[in-house]
Amino acid sequence: MATTIKSEFERIRNTEVWRTIFRSGSGSSNLHRSQAVQQNIFLHLFSVKVRSRALEFSPTWYLGALTLSTFFILIATGILLMFYYHPSVPQAYADMKDLQFVVASGVFLRNLHRWSAHAMVFLVFAHMFKVFYRGAYRPPRQFNWVIGVFLLLITLLLSYTGYLLPWDQLAFWAVTVGSNIAKAVPLMGKQIRFLMLGGNEVNANALLRFYVLHCVILPLAAILLVGVHFWRIRKDGGLYVPEKKQL
Amino acid sequence: MDDNNKPGPLRSRPTLRELAYFGGVSLVLLVSLAIAPAKNYFSDWRHYQKSYLKIAAERQSGTLVRSFHGGIRQTWIAKLGVVDRCESCHVNMNGALVGATAQPFRKHPPIPHEIDQFGCVTCHRGQGPATSVEEAHYTTEAWEQPLLPAKYLESGCGQCHLGPLEGAPKLSEGRNLLSSMGCVHCHNVSQPDGNQLTPGDNPPPLTHIAEKTSREWIYAWIKNPQAYAASASMPNFLLNDQDAADISAFLMAQSTPSAASKVKIKPVAAASPSGADAATEATTLYGASFCSSCHAVQNEAGNLVGGNFGPELTRVGNKVNPDWLRRWLNNPAAYHPDTRMPHYRMDDKQVALLSTFLLAKKDNDLLANVHLSPSTADSVAHGKKLVTEAGCAACHQINGVNPPQNFAPDLTRVGSRALAQVVFAPGMKHNLPDYIAAKIHDPRSFGPGLKMPKFTLTDSQTDALATALLAQTDRAATYPKELIISGARPSNYHPGGDAGKLMDDLRCLSCHAINGNGGDMAPDLTWEGSAVQRAWLEEFLKNPNTLRPALIRRMPKFNLNPREIKTLADYISVAYQGPGFDSQTLDTHSLNADSAARGKQLFYSKYGCQSCHIADYKNDKGYVGPALTSVGTRLTPVWTYKWLKDPNALRAGTLMPNFGLKDEEARDLTAFLMTLKAKQGGGK
Repeated sequence: MATTIKSEFERIRNTEVWRTIFRSGSGSSNLHRSQAVQQNIFLHLFSVKVRSRALEFSPTWYLGALTLSTFFILIATGILLMFYYHPSVPQAYADMKDLQFVVASGVFLRNLHRWSAHAMVFLVFAHMFKVFYRGAYRPPRQFNWVIGVFLLLITLLLSYTGYLLPWDQLAFWAVTVGSNIAKAVPLMGKQIRFLMLGGNEVNANALLRFYVLHCVILPLAAILLVGVHFWRIRKDGGLYVPEKKQL
Repeated sequence: MDDNNKPGPLRSRPTLRELAYFGGVSLVLLVSLAIAPAKNYFSDWRHYQKSYLKIAAERQSGTLVRSFHGGIRQTWIAKLGVVDRCESCHVNMNGALVGATAQPFRKHPPIPHEIDQFGCVTCHRGQGPATSVEEAHYTTEAWEQPLLPAKYLESGCGQCHLGPLEGAPKLSEGRNLLSSMGCVHCHNVSQPDGNQLTPGDNPPPLTHIAEKTSREWIYAWIKNPQAYAASASMPNFLLNDQDAADISAFLMAQSTPSAASKVKIKPVAAASPSGADAATEATTLYGASFCSSCHAVQNEAGNLVGGNFGPELTRVGNKVNPDWLRRWLNNPAAYHPDTRMPHYRMDDKQVALLSTFLLAKKDNDLLANVHLSPSTADSVAHGKKLVTEAGCAACHQINGVNPPQNFAPDLTRVGSRALAQVVFAPGMKHNLPDYIAAKIHDPRSFGPGLKMPKFTLTDSQTDALATALLAQTDRAATYPKELIISGARPSNYHPGGDAGKLMDDLRCLSCHAINGNGGDMAPDLTWEGSAVQRAWLEEFLKNPNTLRPALIRRMPKFNLNPREIKTLADYISVAYQGPGFDSQTLDTHSLNADSAARGKQLFYSKYGCQSCHIADYKNDKGYVGPALTSVGTRLTPVWTYKWLKDPNALRAGTLMPNFGLKDEEARDLTAFLMTLKAKQGGGK
C-alpha cells in the first residue's frame, strides 16, 4: 500500500505538467530537495534545512506559527465579513445587525474575527517576549527584530482601525478618544488628527479611511513584512535554537 | 558525501498517546465548530414557523401548509428606515390560519394602514431587524427601545398625524392636555412640521391682583390650589408655609391699579337687591346668561356641574373682592385685556344680582386658619426670588419678573430620549414610558430640588400625556415630508371694522371659529352668512334662546342694543359667505308647491327623515337630529340644498349621512323644508 502510493507520487512528479511547474525535477537527494525549496516562490522564504530541535515545542512555544495562524483566520473571516459590510454611516451598524440576525453563522464569523484579533495581539506580544528573553534578537537577527517591532505596530493599528468599523457608541468614542490623543502631539497634533480622520471629527470620512486602512493598506503591509520576516529567518541561519545547556 | 545525499534523520513516529491527544483536540475543535451552524438552525423563528405549520396541519389546512414560504421574512421600507423581520415569527398577521389566538400567531387587528407600507416598529417600537424573541422585544445590551406597552400605542400614530385624530383618542387627549394644562408654557414641544404646541389655558395676569383678592386667599391658593377648586389646573408647588407667605406678600406688593379700578361703581347697598325674589332672579340670570357653559360649580353631591372653559366658581366668594367682581361683570376686559370672557351688556341691577349670587358661594372654613404676619421688605424680596425661581412668570404676567427663557427641558424629542441621559428614581423600571409617566404623575419623587410642580391628573390623563410625549420621536423627525399630516393651525383671522370691534368685545372667537381661528365650543361661523336668513339672524341675536332651547351649553344673551344687532347681522350675512351658494346652484323659483309636495313624500317615505328629525311635533318622534319645525325660517334654501347633497362638506364630522340625493330630490326636499316656517311670535 505504502509503496503503491509512493510510486504513484513518483509518477506524478515525472509528468510534464508537474515538471513545468516545479522546475527542480524529481529526486530525493539533498540537492534536489534544496532546489525544490529555493526555486519555489513560497518555499524559498524558508530555510532549506530545519534542525529537528527547532521543531520542538520548547525553543519557540510555536508562538510565531500561532500568530501566523490567527493572521490567516483573520484574513479568511475578514474577507467573508467584507461581503456583508458597507463602510457608510447609515449602513455600517445596520450591517452588524444583519450579521447578527440574518447572515448564516454571521455571529460566529464576527466573533471568530474578533477573538482571533485579540489572540493575535496577545500572541504577537508573547512571541516578542519569548524572543526577547531567549535573546534571539541578538546578532545576526537584530534586523529581524526591528521588522518584528514594525509588525507589532501594524498588528496594533489593525486592531485599532477595526475597532471603528461596527460604528457603534463604543467604536465612535474609542476612536474619538484615540484621535484626540494623537492631537496632543506637539506642534502638528491637529494635522495628524485631520489626516487620521479625514476631517475634524469622527464621521463618514473617518469611517472610510479606517476601512481602507483596515482592509487594504495595513494587511498588505503586514503580508509584505511577514514575507521579509520569514525570509530573514532563513538568511539569519534559521530559527534561533539555544544549544542544549552543557553544564 | 553519501551521508550528505541521504535524507536527514526523521522524527520518530507519533506515539499512541500523542495520537490520542491529537484526536481528542480535533474532536473538541469539530464540536465547537459545529455549534455555530447548530445555533443557526435551532433559531427562534424556525421553531415558530415549524409550530405554525404543525397547527395548520392539525387543522387540515393543506393549502396553508403548501403555500407557506419559510425563511426569514422582512418588511423593508427605506424611506422610513424600517427593516422589520417581525413576520418571521408572527406569520399569521393576516389571519389566514383562523382562530390561532396565542402569540406569535395572533391576527393583527384591523388598522387603517397597510402593514407593509409602515412596518411594525413604527408604532410598536422594539428592534425590527432582530430575529430572536429576546432581542426583538426587550431591552438588551445594544438596544434601548423595547416594545411599547399597548396603552401607549397611539403614540405611533402621533408621529405623522400631528393634529387631532379620530381613531386615536388618547393621543388627541394627551395633546390637548399638553396645551390646556399649560405644559407648553415652560416646555417647548415642536412637531416635525415645525409647528410648536401652544398653550390653550388662559392664566390670569397677576399685575393687578391686589384688586381682585386678598393675600390670605393667595396664600391658601398657592399652598394647595385644589383645596379651593377641585378642577383647578394650577399645579401644586408643594410650598412650605414661609415660602407661600412670602410669595403672597410679593404678589400683593407688585400689584398696580388696573384700568377697571378707575370705573365708578355704585355703592353696594344702593345696587344690591335682597330677599327671596332677588335670589330666584339671580339664579335665573345665572342660568339665562349661560355662565355654566364655561364655569363649573360643585353641587352637594360633590360633582362638578358646568363647563371647564372658565374657572370653577364653587368658592368664588372666598376669593374675590366684591367691588372687583362688580367691575369684572361690568366689563371683564378692563381688568384682563386677553380674557376669554365676553362682555355682557348687563345693567347695574343685573350686575348687583349676579355678584351677590356669586359672593354667596363660599366655604367659611377655607381661610379660617390663615393668619399671616404682616409683610416686610425682606419677605417681599424673598417672595420675588421664589417667584422668579419657580418660573411663575412662564404662565402669569407679573410686574418686575420677566418670563423665563428655556426654563424647562425641551420635549421635542423626548419620545426617543436615550436612557443613558435619564436619571431614574430609585426602584423604578428602566424604560422610557415608565419614566415619562412617573415624571408627569409625581415630578418631585425624582428629587426634592426639582422645580416641576405636581399636577392633579387622573391615571388616564397621565397615560394620555405620556402617549402624546412618546410621539415626539427622532424617527418622526426624519420621516419624509409627504407622510406628515399637519394639524389645522389656528389662523390669525380677526374680523374688521365696527363689527369686528363688537365681535371682539363679545369674545365671539372664544367659542366660535371663523376662518380657522377661534374655539370649538360653538358652531363654525365661516359660512354663517350663506347658511341662515338675515331676518332669523337678527331675531336670534336679540334672543338666542329660540334655537335649540333644550341644550345646556348655549349662546348666552348678551343684551345687545338694536344698533349692535344690525351691525352684527349685516356683517355676518355679508362677510361670512361660502363658495357656490348662489342661484346657479339652486334656482329658488323652482321651489313651488308641487315640488314641496314631492319633497314631503321623499321626507316621510323614501328617506324616512322623521326617524331622526321632527318636522311636525304631533307625529314625528326623531330626536337624533335637530327639530326642523321652523327650519324654513332659519336656513337659506341654497344652504339647505347643498347640505342635503353633502352634509360633511359643510360641517366636517356631522352625524347626518350623505344619501347621495339626485339634484331634483334635493331640490324637492328643500322646497318642502322651506315650507316649515315658525309660527308668528311663537319662536318654535
